[in-house]
Amino acid sequence: MKSKLFIFIIVSFILAGLFQYDYDSHSNYFAEKNIFVTLPKGKTLEILSFGFKNFVADMIFIWSMQFYSNYNLKNRFEYIEDIYNIITDLNPRYRAPYYVGSWIMALELNNYKMAIRLLQKASKNLKDDWDFDFESGYYAYKYLKDYKLAEKYYRKAAEKPDAPSFVKRWQAHTIYMEDNLTYALKMWLEIKKNAKNKLEKNSAFNHLYQIKFEIDKKDLEEKIKLFEQKFRKKPVNLNELKRKGIINMIPKDFKGEDYIYDFKTGKIKAKKVFQWKKFY
Amino acid sequence: MKAIEIKGLEKTFTSNFLLKKYKILKDINISIEKGEIYGFLGPNGAGKTTTIKCMLGLISFDSGESLIYGKDSKSIEGRKKIGFLPEHPYFYDYLTAKELLFFSGMLFSIPQKKVMNKTKYLLELVGLAGKEDLKLKKFSKGMIQRLGFAQTLINDPEIIILDEPFSGLDPIGRKELRDLIISLKKSGKTIFFSSHILQDMEMIVDTVGIILEGKTIKQGKLSDLISHSVQYYEVVFKGVDESLLKSNNIGFELKDNNCITKSKDFEKVNHIIEFIIMNHGKIISVTPFKMTLEDIFLKEING
Amino acid sequence: MKIRAIALNTFKEATRNKIYYLLIFFGIFFVLSSKLVTLLIIGDKVKVLKDLGLASINFFSVLIAIFTGIDLVYKEIERKTIYNILSKPISRSCFIIGKFFGLALTLFVALISMVVMFFLFMLLFSGELDVKILVYFILLYFELLIITSISLLFSSISTPILSSVFTISLYLIGHVIWTFNEFKDKIINPIIKVISYILYYTLPNLEKFNIKNSIVMNVDIDIGMILGSICYAIFYITALLTLTILIFNKREFQ
Repeated sequence: MKSKLFIFIIVSFILAGLFQYDYDSHSNYFAEKNIFVTLPKGKTLEILSFGFKNFVADMIFIWSMQFYSNYNLKNRFEYIEDIYNIITDLNPRYRAPYYVGSWIMALELNNYKMAIRLLQKASKNLKDDWDFDFESGYYAYKYLKDYKLAEKYYRKAAEKPDAPSFVKRWQAHTIYMEDNLTYALKMWLEIKKNAKNKLEKNSAFNHLYQIKFEIDKKDLEEKIKLFEQKFRKKPVNLNELKRKGIINMIPKDFKGEDYIYDFKTGKIKAKKVFQWKKFY
Repeated sequence: MKAIEIKGLEKTFTSNFLLKKYKILKDINISIEKGEIYGFLGPNGAGKTTTIKCMLGLISFDSGESLIYGKDSKSIEGRKKIGFLPEHPYFYDYLTAKELLFFSGMLFSIPQKKVMNKTKYLLELVGLAGKEDLKLKKFSKGMIQRLGFAQTLINDPEIIILDEPFSGLDPIGRKELRDLIISLKKSGKTIFFSSHILQDMEMIVDTVGIILEGKTIKQGKLSDLISHSVQYYEVVFKGVDESLLKSNNIGFELKDNNCITKSKDFEKVNHIIEFIIMNHGKIISVTPFKMTLEDIFLKEING
Repeated sequence: MKIRAIALNTFKEATRNKIYYLLIFFGIFFVLSSKLVTLLIIGDKVKVLKDLGLASINFFSVLIAIFTGIDLVYKEIERKTIYNILSKPISRSCFIIGKFFGLALTLFVALISMVVMFFLFMLLFSGELDVKILVYFILLYFELLIITSISLLFSSISTPILSSVFTISLYLIGHVIWTFNEFKDKIINPIIKVISYILYYTLPNLEKFNIKNSIVMNVDIDIGMILGSICYAIFYITALLTLTILIFNKREFQ
């Protein structure tokens, strides 16, 4: 009698389990349920966690990583900003969610502005960290192509303690990309002066070369136009400009070598060209 | 100074929800001399257990006083002199007999060594020798009761209070308890117990107190309350014509085809016996009836 | 000596309860299984291990604090074992204080077992031993003592079910009431304001013992505030025990 009951229990559980399996293979829980509509905001959740807010933050974070890596779900990014705001409100100094969240927002969702918002929140809460501002700058530079904004972030990052030297270089570079050539030149000279190794020195040198070239190119091509206006023909070479008194000195490139003057077009070229602007 | 003195004890209970007041103790008066055995007698619900609990401070009373050798019985000083056994003793069943006695001893601040010596002696006294390491959950009801008694004596109390100690005991147990109480009295202790088993009480008490509906209606020495002389004689007979009995002014009752007649006067009884024999009746029995505690009790109860 | 007798007896009785061991077991089980959870984590695994371990110990030790004390006094009254104690020369305050210390010992044993397992586990899986976490456990112990005094109070006056409801409610209130700190100052109606102030200071304020976040995130801890919290606990427990004694003194055992 006892063994019959025992078998009966096991069979019932197996049958129930089979039906569960069948149900699972036909349904897609996440797609059907809009789980977060009722998830309360950070401060409320903090109160409701009754002292377990770290634990709750961890749980939501772990869940979020599983959830957002499930490519079968449609509309899964609908509440992503809310979710990561909740996690970071519960535990503002926990770094991982800022990184993971901003990566998902930027690289999966391609919403760089959203990613930057999250990163800036991180920067505010973790005042001594430089990398959140650095990443913000990078997204602004590469994807938003907003060099002014990028420069702002790089500057913020560079001011943080322990910011590595390349941050300043990025800042200087974006200044250059904004076409603020004089300021860029100043920055790069400073970088070259404080350079600690050959790589930095060479990098600074290359940038200075390009910047000087662009400054000089603009200036010279203006002067050539002036010459043309005055003398109704293009100058034969740069010396002629000097002779005719249009310019006082022939500028040399940063290396100290001559620029190349194309008589036909009236344009100046340098021996080396760094095509950052064309690329980006 | 009296060992126990209770004067004018009153207690009213309030039922919480209905705010009904119920006066359970109206006027309790108890007076016990040192070295006495006092029997506290009353029907169920009269207030015996309530009185005892009031004495021990388990329940508060509204007015009156309860004194032990002149001191408040429910104070800590008072309770030091008391050994108490409740009606259905319960103990922690995860303890052994030895551990329970140790625990009780600690509550009296008795040093452990002293308790250890006493434990063996007490367990022997109550008939539980050798069971000191047995866990209480393995004890039978009778054993628990015995252990309860041992625990009552742990502090060598001057006054022992027992609430219905004979209930649930078999005849052997009752005899043993009676003997124990008497021996305790011999060593100078005062014992106060409540019971409704009148036979046991009658055999050992010195003084009796009867309560009814919360009032002490009678208290006195047993010897004073019971007259030792015969109350009446009862003659059981048959074979005499009823009309004959009536015409001779002999009152009788019928029971199971027999006649029963009672008389206080021994002379009259002899006449009745002669009369029956003369009239060819048969005498079945002649029994002298003395008044018992039960008689006194029932008499008082029925007013 | 009498208090010691009751305390040890209470400890023996409490540790007879199977639920006690079950909760300790679960506490340890969850600490150990937190390792599995870290497999899903990107980034600082040790932080998550600490979070989960502290949360488990917190959760289960609170359950022990609530449920061990809940039926202790009630059982004594129900089973009438209390007659054997109160008929002896021991004051009712001694009884309550003895019960409290018995519970304190019980909680200590439970917490220590979970804490030792936690530290062993952390040593094993992360190779480091963050002794600062002990500060959290000390504060947790004081919080547990407050909770257990609350459950002792209710155990002396009502049934186990009601007692658990009240104790759990007060625990939850204790962790939410910090939100009223600023709110109570903004109330305009003077009567309600006075009532709010009274409630704010008499209801238990337990969030101050919850320094899990600061400990795990390595924020500097203020020793002054820790000592202050401990003092708060000591005085609050004294108040609760006195209240329990007051009520218990009036209790009648029919």
